[in-house]
Amino acid sequence: MADHNDPNAVNTIFSDVDVSAADLYDLFGFPSADTAGGEKTVIALTMAAVPETGIFDSDMLYRVQMVAAPRVSWTGVEEQTLDTLLKYFSSVKDKYLSAYKAAEIRVTVDADGRAQLAFLRFPGGDFSKTVATNKVETITTPGGHSIKVYIGGREEAFFNDLPGFFRSINYAPQFYHVPQSMTEARELPIPKTLIELEGNYLFNFDPATPQWGKTMKKDLPPGPWTWTGDKFKKDENGNYRFVYDGEDARAGKNCNAIIFEIPLAFITQDTARNRIVNSWGESWVLKAAHKVETIPDEPFWHQHPWALLDGSHSDEQLKRYKLVDTDGLPFADAALSEREDNRQLGANNFWLAPHFITRLAHLGWGFGPSITALGLQTSFDHDNSPVSVHKTYSNPIAAFPRVRKTLFQKLNMPDDSWNPKGMKIPLRRAFEIFVPNVCATDMDTTGSWPFGRRPEDQVATRFLALFLDMEAELNGRKYHVETLGDPALWNSAPIVPETPPNPLKNDKEFLDHFPYLAEPW
Amino acid sequence: MANLTDYQNDLRKIERNIAEIGSPSDTDRATRRAYGLYQHAALTGRLDEFTAAEAAIAEAFDQVGSWPDLCLVKANLDMKFHRLQGAKRALAMAPGLTESFPGRTVWADIHLQEGRYGQAKQMCEALIAENRTWDNLARLAYWESKFGRIEDAEVLYTEAEEEITAKEMRGYAWVQLQKGLLHLRRGRYEQAAVHYRRAADAYSGYWLVEDHLAELYGSQGKYDEAVALYERVLAENSRPELQQAFGELYAAMGEECEAEKWFDKALAGFLEASANGGVHYYHHLVDFFSDVREDASAAVAWGRKDFELRRNFGTEAALAWALYRNGHIEEADEMMDCALGSGVQDGHLFAKAATIKAAAGRSHESAQLSGRAFALNPHHQGFHVHRS
Repeated sequence: MADHNDPNAVNTIFSDVDVSAADLYDLFGFPSADTAGGEKTVIALTMAAVPETGIFDSDMLYRVQMVAAPRVSWTGVEEQTLDTLLKYFSSVKDKYLSAYKAAEIRVTVDADGRAQLAFLRFPGGDFSKTVATNKVETITTPGGHSIKVYIGGREEAFFNDLPGFFRSINYAPQFYHVPQSMTEARELPIPKTLIELEGNYLFNFDPATPQWGKTMKKDLPPGPWTWTGDKFKKDENGNYRFVYDGEDARAGKNCNAIIFEIPLAFITQDTARNRIVNSWGESWVLKAAHKVETIPDEPFWHQHPWALLDGSHSDEQLKRYKLVDTDGLPFADAALSEREDNRQLGANNFWLAPHFITRLAHLGWGFGPSITALGLQTSFDHDNSPVSVHKTYSNPIAAFPRVRKTLFQKLNMPDDSWNPKGMKIPLRRAFEIFVPNVCATDMDTTGSWPFGRRPEDQVATRFLALFLDMEAELNGRKYHVETLGDPALWNSAPIVPETPPNPLKNDKEFLDHFPYLAEPW
Repeated sequence: MANLTDYQNDLRKIERNIAEIGSPSDTDRATRRAYGLYQHAALTGRLDEFTAAEAAIAEAFDQVGSWPDLCLVKANLDMKFHRLQGAKRALAMAPGLTESFPGRTVWADIHLQEGRYGQAKQMCEALIAENRTWDNLARLAYWESKFGRIEDAEVLYTEAEEEITAKEMRGYAWVQLQKGLLHLRRGRYEQAAVHYRRAADAYSGYWLVEDHLAELYGSQGKYDEAVALYERVLAENSRPELQQAFGELYAAMGEECEAEKWFDKALAGFLEASANGGVHYYHHLVDFFSDVREDASAAVAWGRKDFELRRNFGTEAALAWALYRNGHIEEADEMMDCALGSGVQDGHLFAKAATIKAAAGRSHESAQLSGRAFALNPHHQGFHVHRS
């Protein structure tokens, strides 16, 4: 009975499965400045540089999915109610599940470093190509389009104060050795906040260990892991302590990247109408069964796996893999989906819509009061709470009134540079951005977030701007998505350190030409 | 440098990880070191390595206290050696660990070991509903196989396979071995061979796969192949149960002298472990003294010890057989009824039950059980390894 050969003989108690190669980092999407021959969109999916920068895991399959669609905005005529919101989500869901047929580019890299690309469900038909890795290649499609491709190592394009973000949400694994067996010890039940809470010794900056949360962790102390204080922390000068320090936690690091520059006319036959390129990425890992399946021992199959791929077999291809990670919007996972594996739905996150509302409200109860304490106006209704509150909701009905403005307000842009053609493009609203979980690149803009995502966008700071009241003004200007990135704001705020929450620039200059992401270190 | 097998590669990886940790200076390192040693031991199966892992765990407890992950490693180690009370204590050392997902996984095994079959199944099903991990699917498959639902077991093992990625080939190979065993225990040798070969293809150089293949070859009468494999396995791992299996192979071949040599080694290993406080070989000793070197009273003594430790159809049947060997027919009959009452479906168990029933004068039941034994596995009287 349950002899010595039980699953624990082989199953690791703690997962030591190296899923890093499947760990997706970011998805960038923006119109290319190169319009020779027609409009093009750039889509860049980055992931962990595993096994090495520029070397890909041959057990992995990456999908870059895309669908071009008309620009559709909420008219604003309807009332800003939960019912309206849920109907909107439902209509978007219907479009994605029935009307839109996403095309995709599937990428695998063999042991020799050759990347196999399969272009599926594009208007011009399916085809496949093989390209070298770590060099820019140009593919000519059967229809004569030119697609630039780069599959290889790059400098890590995300620049943010990740420990600061995790400090703001009291995320234990960043600061502590947390037992893997204790999954409840993740976001501890302490109010989220942008400024430190007095007495929050579990997370407040410790000058004796300045590298805490960056290069070292402490042992998680015994519980309870709560906070019983009632005010923000102030120093002897009356300054709050910022949970961020603005340092780039990803400086000096590399990633692997799959980057395409694709003619819009290749993605859609109606380029005049379908101005939004919605894209998202997925990582899949080969199932064990298919690593040893008895396939015909023919060199052709091994060298040209896509040769057997046609529309009817594409699902068969995917059945050999297991979905691991998805990527669309920045912070959709980290901030809103709470990093749970079962919320990795990718574009199909409609079912999470009620959860987003409650989650946004939960974040708002933390960030909102801290924004107010700094003398700024918040979009979140926190009843003038003098301090951040830890509050959760079990259903969106109770949460909705608090986040109504956060969800429905138009997000002002810092200037008009995002709209170079001066077109009448409505500003985007939070609820339009996060469901579905895609990068929606507006081809009539520069693709600056939230109209896409350009590498130089400081999206971590822009995400925090959702909690600002866009009708408020600072120095005669309406708040906008870059307000919190303005050093002048922090220089005059009662806070230390006086810095925007995140670095303003990447540690390496991006390129002004394909593949846009910088050379690896 | 010759290419390493998958097994060797994994061992090297674990050894590198342990070496990198060096002398553990904090909770994380102490836990990872203890866990690494446990992992290495679980892979090689060597008893001396488990002893070293246990010492590292104890040292880590002294250093860092009852860190939950460390407690979990201890609980798993205890389960591996049938120390059920030890496993329960380890889980209870860290608040919340018993209720955690991995904690409840251990408890599912404890329930099964202690004869609470329904609870074990319910717990497995609940764990799977919460998080569909391959090992819990495999646990449920094992449960179904023990109670005769072979098709359900196969489906569940296949579902377990679907959850295993190319980064977990060892796990995949293990599931193939379980699928192979399902067929082997039904006398379906060719189907067993398919799965064992797939396991070998999936994960090269693994002694456990060779051990299973050796049993298959022995069952088929391919003695030369079986001997060659056992020699390779025993060069890697000299566990007494493997030595006993090798001895039984030689006995099946009619080579009594060789058989006795290996039985001597096996017995010495069983007794040494038990003398040192180990309880994991009690069931092997029952079996040994019942059928290999008959000493019925010793068989009963070990049988009662194992029965006291964990009361399930395995220990009940083993004790019943020992009692029968010792001439205590009535008590044997009652104990075997307990085992049969669990609903277990096992050809070897039915065959022994048939013999006991016949001795007890219950010839009709005996005939039925013989028929059922034969139906489950027409080759149940042939060479086989006592894996459970």
